[in-house]
Formats: sequence, structure tokens, C-alpha cells
Amino acid sequence: MTSPSIIIVDDDPPLRLLTSRALQEHGYTVRPASSAPEMWAAFDGGPVDLVLLDIMLPGTNGIDLCRQIRRKSDVPIIFISARGSEADRIVGLELGADDYLAKPFSTRELIARIRAVLRRVGVERQQGDLRESEACFDGWSVSFPRRELRSPGGAVVDLTGAEFDLLGSFLSHPQRVIARERLIELSRTRLGDSSDRSIDVLVSRLRRKLSTANKPAPITTVRGIGYMFNAEVSRA
Amino acid sequence: MRLLLRRSSGLVGRIFAILLITVGIEFAVGTLVYERASHSSLQEDEARRLAEHLVISRKLVAERPWRERETMARLLTTDRYEVRWTPNLPSPPPLAPQLGRMRAQILAWEPSLRDSNMRLRLTSPGRHARVTGALQLPDQSWVHFRMEESPGGWALAIGRVGLALVPAIALIIVAGLLIRRTLNPLRHLARATERVGHGEQIELVEAGTVEVRNLVRAFNEMQRRIHRLITDRTETLAAVGHDLRTPIARLQLRADGVKDEALREALLSDTAEMAGMIDSLLAYLGGEKDPEPPVPTDIAVMAATIVDEATDRGARVSYAGPAHLEMKVRPIAVRRAIHNLVENAVNYGGCADVRLSEGPDIVTIAVDDEGPGIAEHQLEEVLRPFSRLDSSRRRNTRGLGLGLAIVARAVEREQGTLTLSNHSAGGFRAEISLPKHAA
Repeated sequence: MTSPSIIIVDDDPPLRLLTSRALQEHGYTVRPASSAPEMWAAFDGGPVDLVLLDIMLPGTNGIDLCRQIRRKSDVPIIFISARGSEADRIVGLELGADDYLAKPFSTRELIARIRAVLRRVGVERQQGDLRESEACFDGWSVSFPRRELRSPGGAVVDLTGAEFDLLGSFLSHPQRVIARERLIELSRTRLGDSSDRSIDVLVSRLRRKLSTANKPAPITTVRGIGYMFNAEVSRA
Repeated sequence: MRLLLRRSSGLVGRIFAILLITVGIEFAVGTLVYERASHSSLQEDEARRLAEHLVISRKLVAERPWRERETMARLLTTDRYEVRWTPNLPSPPPLAPQLGRMRAQILAWEPSLRDSNMRLRLTSPGRHARVTGALQLPDQSWVHFRMEESPGGWALAIGRVGLALVPAIALIIVAGLLIRRTLNPLRHLARATERVGHGEQIELVEAGTVEVRNLVRAFNEMQRRIHRLITDRTETLAAVGHDLRTPIARLQLRADGVKDEALREALLSDTAEMAGMIDSLLAYLGGEKDPEPPVPTDIAVMAATIVDEATDRGARVSYAGPAHLEMKVRPIAVRRAIHNLVENAVNYGGCADVRLSEGPDIVTIAVDDEGPGIAEHQLEEVLRPFSRLDSSRRRNTRGLGLGLAIVARAVEREQGTLTLSNHSAGGFRAEISLPKHAA
């Protein structure tokens, strides 16, 4: 397997250089671009596995650029932004970015996010899944772009990144027993988060959040093997 | 009146009081003058009638022989005037000085009475004053008379006064309503002024008198200027904050490449601190720039998640309360507020006990710690932005001292209250109360 190639779009030359160097040190092929035209030129240079896109570019703004890329390609996009507000994150993710990274970030965090996105997209392609946006079960609804869970009553229910990924893994394998090891592998797409908690703790927390006064959470423990999500999942 | 003025110290009350005093004085003086005038004419009338009666009585009694005089006197007695003659009646006491005027009036009307040695007295059995008196006949005997005061004189006066009072009261009511109406724009202005600096901007309608209109226009312009000033400052600070993130990002990536481990850790800790400062600054400014709308949120899960994350970082944190509690809040701001309280408790108090409870109208989130607390006189101070207490609380201090100011703002925006207090047994409590049905 050849090293994945990444386009970096950032108007700050030193930062672009530093990011490229960090990525190259971790074995990625990097094509830097300082503006939208340069980015399109870089696209013509060969297959692209991922785009690192700074939201605040001179000329075109990153959000428009993201929309333009989505019209042409399914390539994974990670937004980089100096704004870093929750509202920006949601806008970026809703526009079809796969992840959102706030400045400043460490090399470790950058690499972890890139790996996670590449792995997630890889898994999705393998399973022939299209990019999913909504899933519902027992009245609960999950928005994947916003990474948001809503209760049957319509309220936003906070989940940590690791908990959301765990829920995502359950939702893609409903009514099937999933071994603990497989669950760890599936859910470990966000290394940057506090995923060093044992999977059992994560499951128990998720269970607590999904249980209501009149209905327990639809997650059952299968002794000695793993867990099962026993609710019907409908996708949109 | 002073009490009335103080109690209604509003402009409406003031003007109304002034109006009340003016109309009152005018009314009192007017009534007095009128009453005086009508009273004296009444007296003159009375004196005249008395004079006529006396002239006739004197003539008729004097014409009769002695034995018929008593009968004649009885015949001359009417409802109003009692006339008495007895041969041996004693001579009456001399004239009472206060009736001098009346005597003069009588004599002026009937000059023939001048040589009758008329004497008048005032007797007042009970409430009704009576005029009594005597006349000397040409044969030196005396005719005594007594005048019954016309009853109801005062009642009549009160009725008249009352009647005059009706238009005065009506005038005062109409004037009061008009004043209220005229000053209505001022009341709106006062209400709008109270809201200045609390976020939204209220454009007042220019209405009312020229002065008020000018005032409202000036207020609107002032409000616009203040708003623009605040917005400019906020945007400048926010832009600086955003722009600083790029060099910090460079610094962090450069630090990642440093081989010396101790130096690298020190550099990374510095960049983390700078990033934290900018985060809190932008969070503090953020609510102002683009306010998020309130949405239904499970704040029990929110609090529990914050506790879980702090536990994962190794802090001693606990959560007690319901598993679910849905209410409408601005989730980012409230999450940040709870997060800041937990961080403060962990940093300064060693641990955090988060307790969520639901009352009939409010939801309370209390965060307790076991730290030294804050001196009572500094409880206000810590809520101010950029405030940091020295000495003991300095040890773990990071950031800009915006933590509690951010909490206070978020809570204010939810129309809730933030209460800081020290436990009697040691430790500190920060409590957020949120109304269940806030806008």
C-alpha cells in the first residue's frame, strides 16, 4: 500500500510548512496549497486521500471551498480553524467535512485525527456504506454530521467523542452480538479523545444515558463475548 | 405632603402633587373669599329684617296701654323673632362688643331706632348662637327680643363647598391622566435604559412632546454609539484571539520537534496555557457576538458527562441527581458554565461534588468542594472579569480569570442566578439556579 497523499490548504506559509513536515515524518505524501486555485491544481496532480482545509482563506472562504469539493468528490476533508467555536464545528461538519480540528493542535492530535478519518472512511467503503447522516431507534435520533444524539423528547443528549463512536458502532451492527475486541477496534476511530477508558466503562456510561424511566437502554451484555444492540435501527 | 412627594418620587407623582397643591390652594382661597362675601351679605340681610321687625314691634307695643302690651308682644312673636314685654323687666346688660357691627347696620337701616337705647347680646346655648337684645320704649320700659338663628346655615355652606369641589376633583383627574400620557415615553425610556448593557438593543419610538422626543432621539443615538463601541472592541479582541491561534499553532508544531524532552514539555505547557487563555477570552466574548438559541437539552446528562470527563482526567469528582432532566437552555454556554465550576472546584478545592436537583420552578446545579473557600468580602470580586485572587488561590491559576465571569454571563442569559457561598464546615459552594420556563 502506497503512503496516503494529503493536500494541505493553508494561507500561512510557515504553518503550512510545519504541518507538511509533521505529516511527511509520519509517512504521508503531502501536496501543499496556499489558495483555492492551487488546491484545484493539486487535485489534478494525482489521487488524493484526504484534504486538510483551513476555513479562513483569502479569496474563497473555506466553507464555500468545502461545498465545491463535495460537489466533485467524496474525498475525506478535515477542517482546520482558528475560530474553534462549537457553532463553527457544527457548520463545518454539516457541510460534509469529516472532522474538525481547532488551532492550535499538536502533531500527535493531527496524526490521530487523520488516521481516524482515513480508517472510518476505509471501513465505510469496505462495507459499501454511503456516508450516512441520520439514524433512529426507539424514538432516539442520531445525527452523524453533527455528532449529536437526541432523546425521544427531542432534547440534545451530550455524548463524549468515544461514546458517540461506540454508539455509531452499535448502530451499524444492530441486533448482532459484537465481541468486545471488535467493538474496541470499531470504536477506536478517535484516538485524540479519552478512549483509554475501558470499553466496559464506556458501555455502562452509554447505557445510563440511553435508559429512560420506562425503558432500559437497548444494550445487552452477552456474557464472555461482548455486547448486543437490540433495537431496530432505521436510517435516513 | 412631604410624605406623598417622597413616596411618589416619579415625575408623574411630582407634577401631580404640584397640580394638587395649586388646585387645592386655589380652591381653598376661592371658597373662603366667596363664603366671606356671601356671609356678610347674609348678615346685612338679617340685620335689615331685624331692624324692620323691631321698628314695627316698638311702635305697636308703645301704642298699647300697659295691660295690653304683653298680649301685643306675644302677637308680634314669630318663628324667627321672639318679642317679650313685661312691666317690670330688668334693664338688659350693656351691648356685647362683637355685635357692634350688627347694631350699626340696624341703625343705619332704621334711623328711628337711634333713640331706643338698643342693646344686643350673644347667647349661645349649645351650638346655635342667638342674638338677644332689648329696646327702650319712650316710657322707659323695655321690650326684649330674641332672634332664632336660621338653622342649617352651615349645612348649606358644606353643600355648596361640596358642589364646588366636584369640578375641581374632575379637573385633577383629567390633568393626572394627561400628565401620565405625556410622560409615558419617559417611562419607556427608563425601561430601555435599564436594559442597556444587557445584550439586546431596544430602539425607542420617538413620541411625545418636543423635549421628550429629543431625549428619546439622543438616547437612541447614545445606545447606538455604545453598542458600536462595544461591538468594535469585542470584534477587535476576538480577531486578535483568532489571529493569535495561528502563531501558537506554529509554536506548538515547532515544539513537537524539540529533542530535549524537558524543554519540549515546558514549551508545550506554555502553548497550552496561551491556547487556554484565548479559549476563555473568546468564550467570554462569544456569547455577545453570536448568541446561540435555547434548545431542549438534557442537562442531567450534560452534568454527568462533564463529571465523567473530569474523572477520566484523574480528578476526584462525583455526580448526584436524576439521570435525565430535559429543559430549554443554550447548551454551549451552560455546558461551559458547569465545566468552569467543576474545574474551579477541582483546582482550588481539590474535588467537586456536582448535585442536580429539580424544584417546582427552578433547576439547581450545585458544585461543592473541600477547599479553603473565598473570603466573604471577595465573593463579589471573583465574578468580575480578569479578577484573580492572590496568595493561596494563585497556585494552580491558569488563564485570564474569566472562569466565573463566563459562568455569571451564561447564567444571566438564562435568567438564572449564580450564588457563591462558603460552607460553615469548610469548603466552597457555587450554585446555579435556572428557571424552568425561561425564554
